[in-house]
Amino acid sequence: MLAYLVRRLAGGAVTIVGVLLFLFVLFFLVATPEDVARKAVGEKAPPEVLEQWIAAHGYDKPRFWNPDDPADTMLAEHFRRMLTFDFGSSDADDVPISKRLREGAGPSLALSVPLFVLGLLIGIPLALLVAFFRETYIDRVGLVISVLLMSVSALLYIIGGQYVLGKLLRWFPISGFDPSPEVLPRFLALPLLVGLVAGLGGGIRFDRTVFVEETSKDYVRTARAKGAGEARIMLRHVLRNGLIPILTNVVLQIPFLFTGSILLESFFGIPGLGSITVDAIQANDFATLRTMVFIGSLLFVLGQILTDVSYTLADPRVRLE
Amino acid sequence: MRGALRRSAAVLFAAILAGCGNDPYPLEDSLEKILYQPFDDPPKTLDPQVAYSVVDHQVIGYVYDTLLGYHYLKRPFTLIPGMAETVPEAIGLSDGRVAYRFRLRPDLWFHEDPAFEKFSPGTRTRTVEASDVAFSLLRVADPAVVSPVIEALGKISGLVDFGKRLDERRRADPEFAALRIDEQYRRAGPVDGVRVLGPLELEIVLDDAYPQILYWFAMPFTSPVPWEAIAAYDGVDGRESFAEHPVGSGPFVLSRYDKRSRIVLERNDRWYGVLHPEWKAPAATYPSEGAPGDAEAGLLDPDYVGRPLPFLSRIEFRREKEPIPTFTKFLQGYYDASGVVKESFDRVIQKGELSPEMRGLGITLAKSVEPAISYLGFNMDDAIVGASGGERSEKLRQAMSLAIDSKEFLRLFANGRGLPAQTPIPPGIFGYDAGYQNPFRQPDLDLAKKLLAEAGWADGIDPTTGRPLRLTFDVGDTGAAAMLQFGFYTSRWRRIGLDVEIAATSYNQFQDKVRRGAYQIFTWGWVADYPDPENFLFLLWTPMSRTKSGGPNTANFSNPRYDALFEQMKAMTDTPERLAIIHEMRSILEQERPWIENFYPERYALYHGWVRNEKPAGLSIPTAKYLDIDAELRALRRAEWNVPITWPAWALAAILVVVIVPGVVTFLRERQ
Repeated sequence: MLAYLVRRLAGGAVTIVGVLLFLFVLFFLVATPEDVARKAVGEKAPPEVLEQWIAAHGYDKPRFWNPDDPADTMLAEHFRRMLTFDFGSSDADDVPISKRLREGAGPSLALSVPLFVLGLLIGIPLALLVAFFRETYIDRVGLVISVLLMSVSALLYIIGGQYVLGKLLRWFPISGFDPSPEVLPRFLALPLLVGLVAGLGGGIRFDRTVFVEETSKDYVRTARAKGAGEARIMLRHVLRNGLIPILTNVVLQIPFLFTGSILLESFFGIPGLGSITVDAIQANDFATLRTMVFIGSLLFVLGQILTDVSYTLADPRVRLE
Repeated sequence: MRGALRRSAAVLFAAILAGCGNDPYPLEDSLEKILYQPFDDPPKTLDPQVAYSVVDHQVIGYVYDTLLGYHYLKRPFTLIPGMAETVPEAIGLSDGRVAYRFRLRPDLWFHEDPAFEKFSPGTRTRTVEASDVAFSLLRVADPAVVSPVIEALGKISGLVDFGKRLDERRRADPEFAALRIDEQYRRAGPVDGVRVLGPLELEIVLDDAYPQILYWFAMPFTSPVPWEAIAAYDGVDGRESFAEHPVGSGPFVLSRYDKRSRIVLERNDRWYGVLHPEWKAPAATYPSEGAPGDAEAGLLDPDYVGRPLPFLSRIEFRREKEPIPTFTKFLQGYYDASGVVKESFDRVIQKGELSPEMRGLGITLAKSVEPAISYLGFNMDDAIVGASGGERSEKLRQAMSLAIDSKEFLRLFANGRGLPAQTPIPPGIFGYDAGYQNPFRQPDLDLAKKLLAEAGWADGIDPTTGRPLRLTFDVGDTGAAAMLQFGFYTSRWRRIGLDVEIAATSYNQFQDKVRRGAYQIFTWGWVADYPDPENFLFLLWTPMSRTKSGGPNTANFSNPRYDALFEQMKAMTDTPERLAIIHEMRSILEQERPWIENFYPERYALYHGWVRNEKPAGLSIPTAKYLDIDAELRALRRAEWNVPITWPAWALAAILVVVIVPGVVTFLRERQ
């Protein structure tokens, strides 16, 4: 297990280095510092102001090699910043990126954690219910609805939700965010509902398949032969065994709760990390953007390793060698 | 009694709504005089010496006060005194330089802030003095501040040299660089053109006459800032940055700055307009006179004329990234003003006026032509379309100018919003002449073809090759919507036989092409920094040439007569002589056609019936201090417009029961 983990971590480290090199090529070779500077200080700024900005942000250093001081290059600075988690300041407004990450994590988690938990609490029982009523019209209707839910673009749910529930029925504010506890639920209700509906179809389809597959296994037949009731079989046996593959899916999502949902946050005006990423793209804020991409890849690698580990915890038969 | 009843009804409705509706605001705010405004991009910086974007100025325009201001109603824009007691006159000095002497009002206070306590224990604020204005001017020159306006304010004697000295000393001496900021400035000073004559008296000396300098004193770039705040909020070792923690002296105080979701400004009770209403200070009192039509539009209501400002208790900015939800919230009454989103244009505007539906909601429409211009330009350094082609190229440019129908362009792409441009100077600026018709800006394809033939390119055919003359239209946008617009121009040029190819790249690549001079025809725009013709006519002045000096003369236009007239005109005040010079400059441009003046953009602003005194400015200047809100009317309207419709919830629940119960029953029966 330990050897396996070390191997995976080493593989992950190589991936991260690759990502960092790719980011460097993307952000420091494709775009010029003048492009970034012009976006930051404004279209009308004279050339000397652009130069001042470039020097102040360290974009005037040699890119790869500095004979006077090999450590004083943009490439070395890029690796140093990312690997020590000292992300520096935003190119757009000079705010420390770590501060921005701290500010964005709260709103992102306020949406993503309830969405994640509610998605599981509603999705798994519904999938179990549909599997329980397999081969009846409830199962068929459930499947049709699930496929329909999966087929529609998330964007349509958002715009449709805002139009129907916010504009026509006036149940919720159409968009906005306020962290004050007394009004926060009002702002989160609609994005939560939309996020739940958008993710439910796929979840139910996947979980139902797992549960139905379990019901055809020998241990279920044995349980039936012993006279166990259908409900007991589903809840005690099928649910517990079916959770193992479901866990794979779920654990992989956990790290991404921090990065937030780009679409939901953007459309509902939630100032989370997903929204920060979109803002960084729009503002040519490469410093923030490369940090977000780096953190995203780091979390992805972490998620993969966590998933493997969680397998061994959930299923004693699995050994990581 | 009636008022009390109305108030109670409003509270009741608001309470019901808050419990179960779409109201994004707390109940206790429903009857406050709060102006709710959306914003899309977060401010980049709140440092007044740096901030340049409209959204930055939307906030700092209220937090920082200026020495001068603009009359709220008068057009063309007129300067009025702000923190200064008067608008200063130019004083000619014996050495040929020009001085302006500002006298600050007494009893001006900075906003309360812990920064003051750090350097003077027990003090939360202090008065604003002339030295604070001087300090701000020195900040503009400080290379570490990276102010984008050093070029303009560098006309103050010695200011640019001060910046160089400061930079050199910081580089040479780390101990100097570690000194407190005011001490660094003191040691790197003095600056000859920034003279503090007394606690409230400041003299600015310019090397040459530049009357436009006064406009810069109506912008936050010159707003006084306390050195204590700069020293305290240096953004180092986890300390806050001054760009995120403003300390000003304006009519509103920044009380909340979640710049990705919510920005709140509260009325400043220490503002001089509130402390001293008896002064009747022009920038702190609702005006008694305005432009023609203002009285008819209700902008000179006796209920407001002469009253001290501001009327609002708070301004709330809420982040909205998508235009459609923003507009929906405006229609629900949750924003007080809005632009017209293109998706709803036909619903809102019909035949150029407000639709009956909008009028029924009590919404009003204010149209204003912005002090800005959109133009097509020729790179005058180019061999074919430029100056070196002589009369032949001039006729080509004239022909291309005649082929563009700006009115049609506006109809197709801007819902008719905008005014076809005839000269670089837009309405509201001295020198604009509504009656002037540029002969080369009246669409005339026959005349265009004739000119093209005279130029030697009859029907657009190049006689040397026998093929159509190929030109390149260099653009910095590859989006589908923009390409449609570019296609409009090329299709018009095709009608006179010209084959103009669109060379579309990203904006950055386009900028690079312009920098290298590798472009032929282009489109660009300019928004006024201040309302003076100099700010438009300098866009064609030789020293501003883009390829040579990186300036905003993107056409690289160069005409000695034009330059001489410009030099003369820029130093003058608005007199008939100045107008005559502007007309002569106009004639040069008319003939030479470095630009095809396309249009002056027009803004449509919608206001709810509970907003009072609204008059769009066009310029990025703070106007909300003149606005008032009838909060009770707003609460009633919101309640009326936002009653939740609940029957679909019950219907959905019923459908679920009808679907699930028989299924469960059937299943259980089968199992048994």
